[in-house]
Amino acid sequence: MSRIYVPRTVVQAIEDAAKSTATGYRFVDENSEAEPFFSHAGIERASARFGGALQALGLEKGDRVALILPDNADFVFAFLGAVRAGIVPVPIYPPTGLGKLSGYLENTLHIVDKSGAKVLVTTGEIRRLLGTVQASAPGLRKVADVDELKAQREELRPVKVALHDTCFLQFTSGSTSRPKGVTLTHENLAANIHAIMDLGLGVTPADHGVSWLPLYHDMGLIGFVLAPLYHVNSITFLPPLLFLKRPAKWIETMARHRGTISFGPNFAYALCVKRIKDAEVSHLDLSSWRVAGCGAEPIRADNLRAFADKFERIGFNHRAFVSCYGMAEATLAVSFSPLGQGVLVDKVDAQKLWSEQHAEPREDDDAAQIVSCGRAFPDHDIAVFSPDDAKSEHPLPERSVGELRLRGPSLMTGYYGEPELTQQAFAGGWLKTGDLGYLAGGDVHICGRSKEVIIVNGRNYYPQDLEWEASRVEGVRKGNVIAFGTMKPTMDRERVVIALETAVPAGELREKLKGEVRRVVQQAIGLTVDDVIPLDVGVLPKTSSGKLQRAKTRELYETNELYARGSARKVDTVETVKEVVKSQIGYFKHALLGGLEKKD
Amino acid sequence: MTWTRDSVRDAVMEILRPHAQNGAELSETSHLVADLGVDSLGVMEVVADLEDKFGMRIPDDSLRDVETVADVARAIATRLESEGRLEK
Repeated sequence: MSRIYVPRTVVQAIEDAAKSTATGYRFVDENSEAEPFFSHAGIERASARFGGALQALGLEKGDRVALILPDNADFVFAFLGAVRAGIVPVPIYPPTGLGKLSGYLENTLHIVDKSGAKVLVTTGEIRRLLGTVQASAPGLRKVADVDELKAQREELRPVKVALHDTCFLQFTSGSTSRPKGVTLTHENLAANIHAIMDLGLGVTPADHGVSWLPLYHDMGLIGFVLAPLYHVNSITFLPPLLFLKRPAKWIETMARHRGTISFGPNFAYALCVKRIKDAEVSHLDLSSWRVAGCGAEPIRADNLRAFADKFERIGFNHRAFVSCYGMAEATLAVSFSPLGQGVLVDKVDAQKLWSEQHAEPREDDDAAQIVSCGRAFPDHDIAVFSPDDAKSEHPLPERSVGELRLRGPSLMTGYYGEPELTQQAFAGGWLKTGDLGYLAGGDVHICGRSKEVIIVNGRNYYPQDLEWEASRVEGVRKGNVIAFGTMKPTMDRERVVIALETAVPAGELREKLKGEVRRVVQQAIGLTVDDVIPLDVGVLPKTSSGKLQRAKTRELYETNELYARGSARKVDTVETVKEVVKSQIGYFKHALLGGLEKKD
Repeated sequence: MTWTRDSVRDAVMEILRPHAQNGAELSETSHLVADLGVDSLGVMEVVADLEDKFGMRIPDDSLRDVETVADVARAIATRLESEGRLEK
């Protein structure tokens, strides 16, 4: 803790950690009782072999290699091997779920092409699924089978890797099926890992992490693969799908290994409450769990409280909760709530929050509870600006709601190969997060997103993508589709709703249309739509200029008024002006008020 | 225990019934996503229940060819048959 911080590359961290044979990575595998353990010395050797095998394919420093590897151990060593050879890994999520995902192929192809990857490493099974990916990405020279690479015994040729070199590209889902590659240098990673481990979590060598998080995602990859290398901590990995199938495995693994640190998005804690039977865990002891991090999607204090209530009888301490704010563009973490305090909420007047964009403290039952995510790490800045403050010239005062913007050494150098998008991402040297929030006592409070992202189980989806896919269904009026997320009627997760206009008559044909929309969206995007609402022509709310109103549609849906709307579109000018003002903070209002049951 | 195609189908329907959203009617031709509204987390819960019920491990990548209730029952029956646990 009191050590002086000296930034190191990931390569240096791997080599430094290799002195330890007692700590390392353990991989839980569903198919066997054995849990293969790689000490930090073993991690050094296994990654060197992978690095050598990648060099033998002709890859050199600065080249990109795409990785689609569902197996945790394969992914980790291929990733670290590439990094040690100075090759830039590009993690891509593996196909999951039901059906053949045409949208998955499109996304994957885009990432491969945009990153300019020369080689794609994957399994034989996924290689078959990808089919002719190579033909569509001109820069891609080879699709390599991970098993063939593992069989190789090439020596790693040492490569000089510097702090300012790119370490890897983290592709984030973007609007209209265009993921962008966040470029992270070793310097970014060293700075953010220092912030997370030393400043945020006060990690000591005795800490043992447990993670089921997907490793192609920043929270799993940086938080549980890279950070523990710098701090020589042991980590036990579970396959993400095993957690989703049997959430009790997370709890059971934490208890068995006396885990001290684990993270998950809000939905993971809710899933444990929903799915785990008391009898499955009654014999376990969770008292070693000192940091239960929650991030990557909006945090709902109620969900975390329910988790603490359920598991406190087996030793879980609600004070272990740490609320986190972060994003790929800031490497991973932006701020953490203080250790040992549990979930802290700021009670504010909900009405004023969205009508006046001011977080006024309020102490009664009608107050909205906004989760506090702590303050900026040292050397990093968080400030709030009006979304139209193009140069970040006028920071807003405390408790004023606006766009959160960031500065500091954890910020990406830019989106790979996207100078224009990179320029748009910053305003006067500050990164525009697109998140709405306010500062109170210097602590960050997130109220919503100005981009109307739908987050389901920790993954971001853009309504425009869903609307585009739904529009392709025969019978749906093109351009008259609105997709949105809502926390109603249940609070445990975001539900996905698509409202559309159609000339298809009500009855059996409309029912068929609903099924078809679900099918098409699921196959293209891999997302299950909870509700499809076919409406008569002219029913969806539009502004006087003819723009569809997503926030308004959601509001009508939540108050059960959407179905009741007549077939004539009403354009009320006063209403329209109010809508325009509100649309900016539409999500925001929904995030707040969606969480409050109407009392009248 | 041994199974028949009928008892497999009945057991699969029993497992899927609580997952049918918004009162959707369950039949062999029901599409899991389009008709029943099962989402990706729901799918994993169904898989866990199927594994427990039929005493087997269902590989993660075996779900891609499954779309309807009948597909699920067929895939399970095929597995049981290969293990000699299905009566003709």
